[in-house]
Amino acid sequence: MSSHVAPHRWADAYARRLADSERATMDRHAEQCRACARARERITRASDSFVAIRNQSSPELSWDSVRARVHWSVSTERRAKVRLPQRRPLLGWVAFGVVATAGVIATLVVDRPAEPVARAPLTAPSPEPGGAFVSPAPASPVGLAGLVNRTTGDVMIDGTRPTDLFARRLVAGTVIATGDGRVDIQFGDASAFGLGPRSRLELRRFDAQAIELVVEGTVDVQVAPRVAGQRFVVQAGKRTIEVRGTQFRVRHDAVSTAVACRHGLVAVRDSYGQLEVGAARHVELAAARPVSTERTLPLSLEAATELADATPMTLPVWELGTLASSAPLEIATSGRRDVRLDGVELGAAPMRVRVMPGRHTVEAADGQGRYRRAGWIDVAAPNTNAKPARLEVLPEPPATRGTDERRRQLRAGIDKGRIGLCMRKISKQGLAGTYVQIEISVDAQGAVGFLNIIDTDLGKATAGCVDEVVRDVRFKPGATATWNERIDL
Amino acid sequence: MLQRVKREGGSVAALGPADEADLIERCRAEDRSAHDEFYHRFRRQVAGNLYRVLGDRTDLDDLVQEVFVIAFRGLVRFRGDARLSTWIYRICVNVALGRIRTRKRRPNAVGVADLDSASADPSLVERPETPDRSLERRRDQESVYRALESLAPKKRMVLYLHEIEGLDLKEIAYLVDSNPVTVRTRLFYARREFYKVISGEDPPAVVKTAEDDS
Repeated sequence: MSSHVAPHRWADAYARRLADSERATMDRHAEQCRACARARERITRASDSFVAIRNQSSPELSWDSVRARVHWSVSTERRAKVRLPQRRPLLGWVAFGVVATAGVIATLVVDRPAEPVARAPLTAPSPEPGGAFVSPAPASPVGLAGLVNRTTGDVMIDGTRPTDLFARRLVAGTVIATGDGRVDIQFGDASAFGLGPRSRLELRRFDAQAIELVVEGTVDVQVAPRVAGQRFVVQAGKRTIEVRGTQFRVRHDAVSTAVACRHGLVAVRDSYGQLEVGAARHVELAAARPVSTERTLPLSLEAATELADATPMTLPVWELGTLASSAPLEIATSGRRDVRLDGVELGAAPMRVRVMPGRHTVEAADGQGRYRRAGWIDVAAPNTNAKPARLEVLPEPPATRGTDERRRQLRAGIDKGRIGLCMRKISKQGLAGTYVQIEISVDAQGAVGFLNIIDTDLGKATAGCVDEVVRDVRFKPGATATWNERIDL
Repeated sequence: MLQRVKREGGSVAALGPADEADLIERCRAEDRSAHDEFYHRFRRQVAGNLYRVLGDRTDLDDLVQEVFVIAFRGLVRFRGDARLSTWIYRICVNVALGRIRTRKRRPNAVGVADLDSASADPSLVERPETPDRSLERRRDQESVYRALESLAPKKRMVLYLHEIEGLDLKEIAYLVDSNPVTVRTRLFYARREFYKVISGEDPPAVVKTAEDDS
């Protein structure tokens, strides 16, 4: 074979699409041609990896979240379709036009005193006895139901500690009280409230027209924008806090009432007047002073962060039918630890949280605030006989005793000269202040159990070079240690 | 027709034709439990297809969502001339094509092919089996996806379906909504370009940063 082999022919040969004689000729050529031999090797390796790619299984995603988003999209479209006014078909409009024109012409042609053209009413006539407008009797508003999404600590509903807290629908008249814990209750799309520790809240009115919460203690509220005619009111003693769509906190006790607004606008009223609290502002009202005499102040950074952290948990989809299959998941920790569920930060556990059935991944924050996988759990649909799902997060392993010694050995053992060679290329480019963060485990004999680069701002080649230098560090027999090390370069 | 498109059958057993028809009917009737069943049956297949076609999991959640929304919206028009799984695969292909086109306009900051990559959140990644083998495997896969990136979206898709998924021209034609002759022509040129890049004759056009010194 005089000319080189076209690369795709090697792929054909690999897939056995060529005759044996032709393959043999190509192989003979490759024995004498280094370029073709290299091409053959690369294509063979790539073709080998096709199988690995083909067998790649699906990665784990937050399936429930995706499902909720799909349902949300589909049901939003469906609702929008229902809301759209029925469009008359074009033919109908044409017929209507023809009839109307004919009517007008007939009226003009026929010599009759002008009379209004009789037209079919577009809507059913409303009874108007005596010419006066009578509004229809108001229908009783549809009652709302709230669902508990997350709890920590003690929660009482109507004076009892219910075992079926997550199965309950909270309706008007319910009284919720907390001990040292907190409870988040959702009552609509992106609308929820979280009752803080040692607080009490009564759902005085809870329907589609108005929501009235009476609070003693602390309540964090997030309310989706209300439609016209809908009211959302928090009663704090003699004061009324009313909103349209916002996130805010009300803390009320015998001495004072504090209102802090994260975004949106909140109106605080008493019998003397009104005070508006805008986004990122707060006000503290002494019990005896009228609101009109007070001024709002900007929120400090700490207060704003605290307010953001206290955002009540809301589920991405709000449909009671769908949520009937949801179930509580208990995340147990030995101390207070921040946890993440399917990648979503939930705050400090132990807690119970509402999830959809399926597999869920729980991560817990370690001492440095980094989330580590704590495990996964399959949550089944609610069943009266089944125990609620529970995942216990194991306590963080105590820091290994010999870490300091091993750390010193590592630092002393790194060959600075070789590191310099690794960094030479990027140093020439003027890059400085780079780093490699590694995770390393050394056993009692001084052997490296594992060494992973967990973070770096270097390119692959440079990081790989640094990795090789670190791998060549020799440790003496001593304590077992596992630690993270940041190597600044 | 088109019985053998996908192997990955979701988290539950594959559906028979009668069950499939029943599921479709219930979905068309806006039965929420049918939607749930549909989602559970096909979610892994959809995610797996998209993952393999694109070679990275950036925005995979969003793409899976898009596929299911399109599927639920389009079930009323599903004529049943292919298996449901094939029809969904076709939606995946179209969504992936859209994604590839968008990515061509706005290249990823991170790069291609994070299959099993350690660049993901380290707390979520298992330790590699053996570093050398894992690295080699990853590099081979990366080179495949890098070469795929250098192709035009339609050529890339045809090549992927033929060379990696092993589908024939007729199946590919259905999936990309084209005819087999067009697919054959596209594949002819795509193979030449792809293997040229793989063999190292023609380096892929990738954006290199000063820091990316690998």
